[in-house]
Amino acid sequence: MQIIDVLFWGWIIQATLTLGTPLVLAGLGGMFSERSGVVNIALEGMMLMGAWAAVAASWYTDNPWTGVFAAIISGLILGAVHGVISVKLKGNQIVSGTGIILFAAGFTTLMLWVIWGTAGASGQVITLPEVRVPIIGLVSPLTFAMLALIPICWYLLYRTPFGLRLRAAGEDPSTLDTAGISVENYRMYGVLISGMLAAIAGAQMSIGFGSRFTIGMTAGNGFLALAAMIFGNWNPIGTLFAGLFFGFLQAISYGVQFAPGWEWLIGYSSFINMIPYISVIVALGIIRRSVPPKAIGVPYIKEKQV
Amino acid sequence: MTDSSKDLESEMGGSPPKTMDGSMTTFLGSMWEQITGFFKWHNLRRSLIQVGWAIMSIILALLVASLIMLGTGFNPIVAFSTLIGGALLQPDIIFWWATPLILTGLSVALAFRAGLFNIGAEGQLYMGSMAAAIVGFMAMLPIFVHPLLALLIGAVVGGLWAFVPAILKAYRGAHEVVTTMMMTYIAVPYFTTWLAAGPLRDPTLIQPQPQTPAIWPTAYLPELFGSFYLHFGFIIGILCVIGVWILLKNTVLGYEMRAVGLNEPAAEAAGINPKKMIVISLFLSGCLAGLGGAVEILGYYHRFYAGWSRGLGFDGITVAVLGANSPMGVLLGAIFFGFLRAGAIPMQTVGRVPAEMIDVIQGLVVLFVAAPKIVEWLAKREISWAQWIRKEPMKSLPIFLGSLFALIGSMILLAMAASMFGTLMVLDLIPDLPTLILTDPYMAMHVATLSLAIIFGVIGLYVFYALLRLEKRAIWAFLPLSIVLIILGVVNTLIFGGSLLIPLLVIGILGFVFAIWSYIVVVRQGVIFGGEF
Repeated sequence: MQIIDVLFWGWIIQATLTLGTPLVLAGLGGMFSERSGVVNIALEGMMLMGAWAAVAASWYTDNPWTGVFAAIISGLILGAVHGVISVKLKGNQIVSGTGIILFAAGFTTLMLWVIWGTAGASGQVITLPEVRVPIIGLVSPLTFAMLALIPICWYLLYRTPFGLRLRAAGEDPSTLDTAGISVENYRMYGVLISGMLAAIAGAQMSIGFGSRFTIGMTAGNGFLALAAMIFGNWNPIGTLFAGLFFGFLQAISYGVQFAPGWEWLIGYSSFINMIPYISVIVALGIIRRSVPPKAIGVPYIKEKQV
Repeated sequence: MTDSSKDLESEMGGSPPKTMDGSMTTFLGSMWEQITGFFKWHNLRRSLIQVGWAIMSIILALLVASLIMLGTGFNPIVAFSTLIGGALLQPDIIFWWATPLILTGLSVALAFRAGLFNIGAEGQLYMGSMAAAIVGFMAMLPIFVHPLLALLIGAVVGGLWAFVPAILKAYRGAHEVVTTMMMTYIAVPYFTTWLAAGPLRDPTLIQPQPQTPAIWPTAYLPELFGSFYLHFGFIIGILCVIGVWILLKNTVLGYEMRAVGLNEPAAEAAGINPKKMIVISLFLSGCLAGLGGAVEILGYYHRFYAGWSRGLGFDGITVAVLGANSPMGVLLGAIFFGFLRAGAIPMQTVGRVPAEMIDVIQGLVVLFVAAPKIVEWLAKREISWAQWIRKEPMKSLPIFLGSLFALIGSMILLAMAASMFGTLMVLDLIPDLPTLILTDPYMAMHVATLSLAIIFGVIGLYVFYALLRLEKRAIWAFLPLSIVLIILGVVNTLIFGGSLLIPLLVIGILGFVFAIWSYIVVVRQGVIFGGEF
């Protein structure tokens, strides 16, 4: 094995982790929301807003950690909007998500004008301090946070009363309601956690491996995260592997452009990028391995008391 | 006839039309009934309420957008006046923008009536436009035949792109929201871009943007009224609106589609095959989106550019949602968004407000339409206010004017706070603000004014909200609010050299008058709030 191969595979692992982190984080977010019974296609908008908030806050304070904090706040706000419309007001969850995506795309571009006076990209900000790992290279701290979150989320979802109630809100809300627990509250928690995680994923894209915000920088990664969650069958460990697999495919499609012996793939990198979407269609429709929560997408309306 | 099919009939408001197997005269007669039925009081009232809800959502979205503009230092009055003026100067651009929106809006609306959410109209639009472009530059055909064939193939390819999710939904139960979205991402950034950059790239061009060769002039759609923008596609859009309307109202197929959308088990019990309906309606929906892409390529762009549409398919969701999924509503919604798009460029160049404000407004409109309960609540309040004003104008008018004053005053206060905060931000004074307040009296004054403006701005908004809820106590806030407005106007002008003296004084004094007037009315005549409407 030549030294160039070691370097190349080290780079591929680094890129997989870096590109996979936002997918896994946002996918975990989507999982919490969908497990509680609320479809969250707004992940894309929440990620974009988080990416912008992270850059804006670190621009004003020169500290990337306030950026992460600001991203969390922005995610909570958008999550609250989605929750109020789709849980409290029983609106259509997909329409609400579409509205949030449109709003986030417009608002972040507008704020790019207001803060930096440019149409394309923000000013450069300090990135999160990266950690050096042997062979692999520099890794963002949010990647470690993501890896640590997987067991935490698994424990929260499957071994605590909170997780049981959250899953019940998505599978069988009327039973949860009969037990005297508010379905609305647990769905709100799910959507709020979802907004928070999606916004951290956005922060990873803007101040984790880049150092600026550009228009529409999430570029479909929110939907890819949704795909990772579905491909991972709505559970944290599946989401981790699906997200890293999609990140690996992205890394390959970048990597073939400079890797020796891979030149013949350059013209087909579009097809490598298509694999995640095709695999979701296959998983959902053809082999039917992925099974969504039963009560997903249906607003829960309490039966009238007699 | 089973029970559930009777339920279905009462839910649908009538028995299925029997037109398709009847003669042409009965078909026309039934259409005439539909047209006259539209103007019958009951139907008219229902559509008026729909239109009223849409208008309320738009007004709310514009209000929130104005607040965002005030907060970010733009003038909403300048923005809206340049937007409206600019759009009215070039009406052809309005209808040019509306053309693809009508078709994608119809696409989403048709699927929605059958109980399906076609969120991937964007992908179907791209596939349709690519297919139309390929027919346009590869085939050599006579005039008339060429555009017709290109449109037909564009529509069919768009339909086929929706056919895969339709089959998976009907026979494998895969949710169409996920699969149509995935199909869109396969089509837009990867498949069509790869085609336009690789095998079908125009070899004579050196521009880096992937694009196919130009289509033959025989395939062009004719221009309308000699406009550079507006083309025959608009007429096609109108024809599709009428076609979908007839399909939904007057045909057995449309009836069965709506039945599946309303109540699938009942429809199945009544002998309708829901799987067949799912496949047919998603296919037709994809055809409409593909047609939307094809008319734009044949009518305006004349070649396929990678990434040419920038979200016309997603805007179709907005249009359908605003139009309450009815063909006429889609037409009006598309023209409204066409109006906003046409005014966006004048707003940016003349009014210096970024065109992205339109995207913000669009997102807000969708969010407000998504939550009909907010609009419903507001509409009820509006009606009760209108009834009260008609019944007792002398009692209600001062309070109504007072609430409007609270709204306008709070907006001015919030704008003032935003501009003062902006000054602090530009001068980079925020990090060492605590020390500055203690040492510099001028800065202390600045911060005090800022906080006063924020506090009373929020109070003003709350007063407006409370008066909408007919809470009597809220009127006691009129007086402090007007006094603060006057004080801040004086402070702003004398100390900081601002220019807000006249508007703040006028609003403040008017508010003072309304406050005293409503106190007199309330104390003397004993107005009772709530419960009486």
